Amino acid sequence: MPPGRIAKVLVANRGEIAVRVIRTCREMGIATVAVYSDADRGSFHVRFADEAVHVGPSPSRQSYLDVERIVEAAQRSGADAVHPGYGFLSENPALPRALERAGITFVGPRPESMEAMGVKTTARKNMADAGVPVVPGSPTPIADEAEARALAARLGYPVMIKAAAGGGGKGMKRCEGAAEFGRLWQSARREAAGAFGDERLYLEKFLEKPRHVEIQIFADEHGGCIFIGERECSIQRRQQKVVEESPSPIVDERLREAMGQVAVRAARAVGYRGAGTVEFLVDQDRKFYFLEMNTRLQVEHPVTEMITGLDLVRMQMLVAQGERIPAQEDIVRRGHAIEARVYAEDPARNFLPSPGKITYLRVPAGPGVRDDSGVYSGWVVPPHYDPLLSKLVAWAPSREQAIARLLRALSEYTVHGITTNLDYLSAVLRHPAFRSGEYDTGFCSRHAGELLSPPDGALEEVALVAAALAAHKKDTEEAEAFAARAGEAAAARSQWLRLGRARSLRGALR
Amino acid sequence: MTTRATYVALLDGGKRERTVEVTPLEPGVYEVRIGEAVHRVDAWRHDHGTLSLLVDGTSHSATLDERGSRVHVRIRGSVFPVEILDERRLRLRRAAGRFTVEGKQTVTAPMPGKVVRVLVSAGAPVEEGQPLLTIEAMKMENELRSPKRGRVVELNVREGQTVEGNAKLCAVE
Repeated sequence: MPPGRIAKVLVANRGEIAVRVIRTCREMGIATVAVYSDADRGSFHVRFADEAVHVGPSPSRQSYLDVERIVEAAQRSGADAVHPGYGFLSENPALPRALERAGITFVGPRPESMEAMGVKTTARKNMADAGVPVVPGSPTPIADEAEARALAARLGYPVMIKAAAGGGGKGMKRCEGAAEFGRLWQSARREAAGAFGDERLYLEKFLEKPRHVEIQIFADEHGGCIFIGERECSIQRRQQKVVEESPSPIVDERLREAMGQVAVRAARAVGYRGAGTVEFLVDQDRKFYFLEMNTRLQVEHPVTEMITGLDLVRMQMLVAQGERIPAQEDIVRRGHAIEARVYAEDPARNFLPSPGKITYLRVPAGPGVRDDSGVYSGWVVPPHYDPLLSKLVAWAPSREQAIARLLRALSEYTVHGITTNLDYLSAVLRHPAFRSGEYDTGFCSRHAGELLSPPDGALEEVALVAAALAAHKKDTEEAEAFAARAGEAAAARSQWLRLGRARSLRGALR
Repeated sequence: MTTRATYVALLDGGKRERTVEVTPLEPGVYEVRIGEAVHRVDAWRHDHGTLSLLVDGTSHSATLDERGSRVHVRIRGSVFPVEILDERRLRLRRAAGRFTVEGKQTVTAPMPGKVVRVLVSAGAPVEEGQPLLTIEAMKMENELRSPKRGRVVELNVREGQTVEGNAKLCAVE
């Protein structure tokens, strides 16, 4: 049922995506309600929203992942809609169900569509039934390690171990051979249980040198369903996307059309509504296979926004109000966009997360640059959540210019106090394999060594000059401050002296 | 204006040191001597932690990120972790004898988290870079590796245990 105009939306998320959603709501004149855990009282999104509701302790299970608390917060604040962002509850059908009971609009698909796509094994079956090509693997989740091991041997290594309830790379492992199967299986299970509260796993054959290409789709309540171009997301580390771009260097108009049609068919097969993404693996012969569908806004959606000029969050809100999406032929793509994910992590220490206080922050600006950030100078990045700080996106008329522009913008990005992957991102963009467009999902592991470039020795002297002059300035200032205090003390002493003299004089005059 | 000052810069985690001599010439202008090289430097302090340097006429933007006793100096995408000591601090450090990476190395938790796997036992010989423990934090599992070749002389945690940031997990000697 079209609910009519949304007046107030609760954003059931945190960090950069909460800020991103609030920005569009502000432009649309929609009031916003933020939610926050104990650790997030000082978070940027709380200050940015019109209202904010505390939803529990720092662990996300007791706050951002708690359906009851989120619904209660929406009711208490009088919100007529809830936007889930990505991650957390965005793909949990329990949220839209609970909201429906409370008479609150969910900005996203129907719970049945989420279920049809949410459990990855069910999704694979649904897609195969709809005539969408899928990667060979297990048709149902596997409970038993021995059974999984046997299937892995039948499929042939390498295989991918994946969480049935998965997404975002959590609980996903690439297994090279039987020797490491047990260790990776157990680790994937723990991650899956922690991230999704569901430890079921399944297997897929690992394709050789595949590329990860996804199609953004959009559907409304009136039978409209369109695709809005692809995103190339093959630059991944431990199954987490790092750099995304659009158009994909390997997708031509014909392939785009073919993938787009299949994506629309996949969305229609589950009665989809709103923003969704159909992920494909593309093999070396440019054959594509359905991987999964993300029934929510993607982290990397700004790439699509930059090349189409659309605001996908605005479209989500309009669809939630029962309005129509644009026609397929009205979607125009222009130029090239690349996104780099800025994480609080240390590439030199095996990408260990680096939470802590941001003592200084200066973000890039200039032509064609967009920074979707959720942090500020003085914010202490908490250890409880994903270490994504910001997404830096560059747009330019050509791919080559977009790379140069994003490199330029990365060089302007300054984060002090914590370690980030900014230099790693620059190294990815400078790498010849990336520049040529000839890369696949193995890029980050294949070139791992080359992406950790040591500092340029020629600049060491300049660094020493800077460090020594900074120390010198500090020492000088300290010495001056000391002298000033000493001067005041001396002056104070002489005041007493003068007073004493004056008194004695007065006495003498009396 | 103070007079000439001499600093010792420790590089590569203390494995290398270089002497830097600073002589103020006029406000904001210095002569900086590093070994044989002498530079004329015009320094201007911008906002927090940022210096504009004109070194022999070339313009550099230097950002200084203070991390405890060290400062991470960034010049054009290259980062140099440096510890700057004046002569007094250098003598103190020498006396403390913490200059080498030899001897017992303690492995500490880089952040609060949960120990999900202990991969070595007390007394076991380990290679440099060998995984010692797995810690789950920020929703991902992270392996902690041995800083050196040696033997596990202390093991202070067990699987399933929750640890604070900087907690001593084990030691390798």
